[in-house]
Amino acid sequence: MAEGNRLAAAIRVDGVSHVYRPPRGKPVLALDKISLEVREREFLALLGPSGCGKSTLLYLMGGFMPISQGSIYVGERAVTAPGPDRGVVFQHFALFPWKTVRQNVLYGLEKLGLPREEQRRRAQEYIDMVKLTGFEDSYPNQLSGGMKQRAAIARTLAVDPQILLMDEPFGALDAQTRSLMQEELLSIWQRTRKTVVFVTHDVQEAVYLAERIAVMTARPGRIKTIVDSRFQEKGPGLLKSPAFVEKVDYVWNLVRQEAIAAQGGKA
Amino acid sequence: MKQSLLATAWRYTPLLLLVLIWEAGTRLGIISKWALPTFDSVAVAWFNLLESGDLIYNGAASLMRAAAGLGLAVVVGAVLGILMAWIKPVRIVFNPIVQVFYPIPKSALIPIMMLWLGFGHMSKIMLIFLGCMLPVTLSAFNGARGVDHVLIWSARSLGASWRAVLWEVITPGAMPEILAGVRTSIALSFVLLVSSELIVSREGLGYLIGWLGDGGVYNGMFAVVLTVAGLGFAADRLYLMLMRRLLVWRE
Amino acid sequence: MSEARALPGKAAEPRTDEGRAMSISGVAAQILIRSGSVIALLIGWELLARSGAFTTFLLPPLSLVLERVWDDVTSGALVVNLGLTLYRAAVGFAVAAVGGIILGVLIARIPFVHWLFDPIVSVGFPMPKIAFLPVFMLWFGLYDVSKISMVIFDSIFPVIAATVAGTQAVENQLVWSARSLGAKDRAVLWEIVMPAALPQILTGLQIALPIALIVTIVCEMLMGGEGLGGAMIQSSRFADSPGVFAGIFEIAIAGWAVIKGQEWVRRKLLVWHQETQSVATM
Repeated sequence: MAEGNRLAAAIRVDGVSHVYRPPRGKPVLALDKISLEVREREFLALLGPSGCGKSTLLYLMGGFMPISQGSIYVGERAVTAPGPDRGVVFQHFALFPWKTVRQNVLYGLEKLGLPREEQRRRAQEYIDMVKLTGFEDSYPNQLSGGMKQRAAIARTLAVDPQILLMDEPFGALDAQTRSLMQEELLSIWQRTRKTVVFVTHDVQEAVYLAERIAVMTARPGRIKTIVDSRFQEKGPGLLKSPAFVEKVDYVWNLVRQEAIAAQGGKA
Repeated sequence: MKQSLLATAWRYTPLLLLVLIWEAGTRLGIISKWALPTFDSVAVAWFNLLESGDLIYNGAASLMRAAAGLGLAVVVGAVLGILMAWIKPVRIVFNPIVQVFYPIPKSALIPIMMLWLGFGHMSKIMLIFLGCMLPVTLSAFNGARGVDHVLIWSARSLGASWRAVLWEVITPGAMPEILAGVRTSIALSFVLLVSSELIVSREGLGYLIGWLGDGGVYNGMFAVVLTVAGLGFAADRLYLMLMRRLLVWRE
Repeated sequence: MSEARALPGKAAEPRTDEGRAMSISGVAAQILIRSGSVIALLIGWELLARSGAFTTFLLPPLSLVLERVWDDVTSGALVVNLGLTLYRAAVGFAVAAVGGIILGVLIARIPFVHWLFDPIVSVGFPMPKIAFLPVFMLWFGLYDVSKISMVIFDSIFPVIAATVAGTQAVENQLVWSARSLGAKDRAVLWEIVMPAALPQILTGLQIALPIALIVTIVCEMLMGGEGLGGAMIQSSRFADSPGVFAGIFEIAIAGWAVIKGQEWVRRKLLVWHQETQSVATM
């Protein structure tokens, strides 16, 4: 399956289908034989309209739901359960509200069984990295949305996962905070070079952050097409460049049809 | 329709199991018959009590008391709560009374009622009335307070008088909360009824339980205990159905 | 850190205007206003009782009742009765709390246990469980065991209901986050599910404790003997009206103290849960 590209596959999704069974009502096909390769160290966006199953696919990669049809491989191993090799960041932060920021970040480190001193040092390092120094002893309740998400990111990064699964992580933030967080995520990624799978419905966000964008169809979700989204340099200045605007327009047109279909109409 | 009937039956099957264990256990002597009469002897005793009229007579007395007390509590309580919510002088007068009585457990009023009103009907009715009034008042208060100002302004601008607004806009708006408060009161009324009848009464289901127990007629005692429990459960379920019907517009 | 800005949108708890920082005089003013009407009520009682409109039997003056309460305190009777009642209620509550939480967790997580207990809890809740008191008296005698069993029977239901609701309501994403950070099943239960369900479980316990207290008192009223309930019923049998009123007073104070105590415990345990007064922004 090498396509002239020497990068190995970090995640290989092979013919995965998923049926959603609501407690009342008929089962619905959420994902339809999805096959996808996420290359090592790349930043891949899963982009599509609401209900297209992009989050579901992410959860399957994370091992949070059982895979009934098809398979997902991370490196050599099939995904059967969650693990510290695949860190996850959710839209609504999922911080443990009864723990302080520091305690949240320490949680995964404790599970790794590192010596106490090392845990503390690492926790502080990541808290500093996300610029939350000084708020180590605050409870999530006392933090703004942006700060909560930074804490969540610190918690996830602290266990040094190879893969980062992010489910619309900036969706709950206001527009300004979102822009700042995008820049910070980009800079963290450029420094740590993890494999990132980033779910979003925001076209501009996908083009800005990702190297490749997997555009999904409306339900049942399939991969419609994969768009290359690399630019010379990614930074705030990019947003105004004509190449960028053109790309956003191009991708939006791909998504637009699906968005309309998702709402029950025709393109 | 048939499916949900089956589902309901399956849901309550553990209770059937309980009865079977009861019967088997006592029959086989695992559970002493002295402590727990066999289920069938309890059933027989129940029918005897029904036939002799004891169950009907005492049951009627109990239900009459509960209904009277509860009815008064709901009407007076709801009116008071609604008025308190929107008419300042009423609130100022009654708020301290409500605040003082709220933390007092209503069963503590049993000896006072006995003192004032003796062993008969009035002490129970008064007890239930006073005891159940508070939850209804509080629910009515909260419900009436929560009515959207916009609705009231619309009605006023259409020419409704304050009286009309109270009864035609605020009361229906407060209904969901009031109905929820009434549900609590129903359960409370049963508890107050049974407690007071166990302690001080000459008739009623609580009294009957005590009388049968003192007389050593344990299968009869169990029969009436289960009857009371069943009535409480049935009242709650029936009320729930009524409440759903009344609040259809809310769905 | 920027200035006070309360978090919007949190579910309101009853009667809280204490969310904002208040000056000392502001707090004092609040207390005065609140107790002012209660004080007015108490004064009204005294005047009404003395006016002769009611006999001492019907409405003993507040002063007489307070005198009686004081007698109870100095004679030691109050300590004995209150202590006994609280002891019974506390033991019953403790058993109901532990048993209820364990049962609640099992019901929430094991489908078979859920099936088995669901109708029992659902039927048991609206039942006037006090009707079973004569049964418990038959089984366990006339002393503490029967009273305590009744308390357990009555208090365990709200604890079970709250525990089931609390553990079931734990957000998936909290559990998933923990799992992907390396937590195994047992760790997830104790380190994530239980703390997350704590607010709701505490609410259940807060409902159960007053129930335990009042059920104890009712049992004492029926069975006599010592304890607040027994003392009260004794007074009423002797037509001792001030005694009965004194009893209500004592029960009310005990009840009030229990509720205040609960609120304090809740505040301490759920420090992280409270709306805080200032939100940091960056």
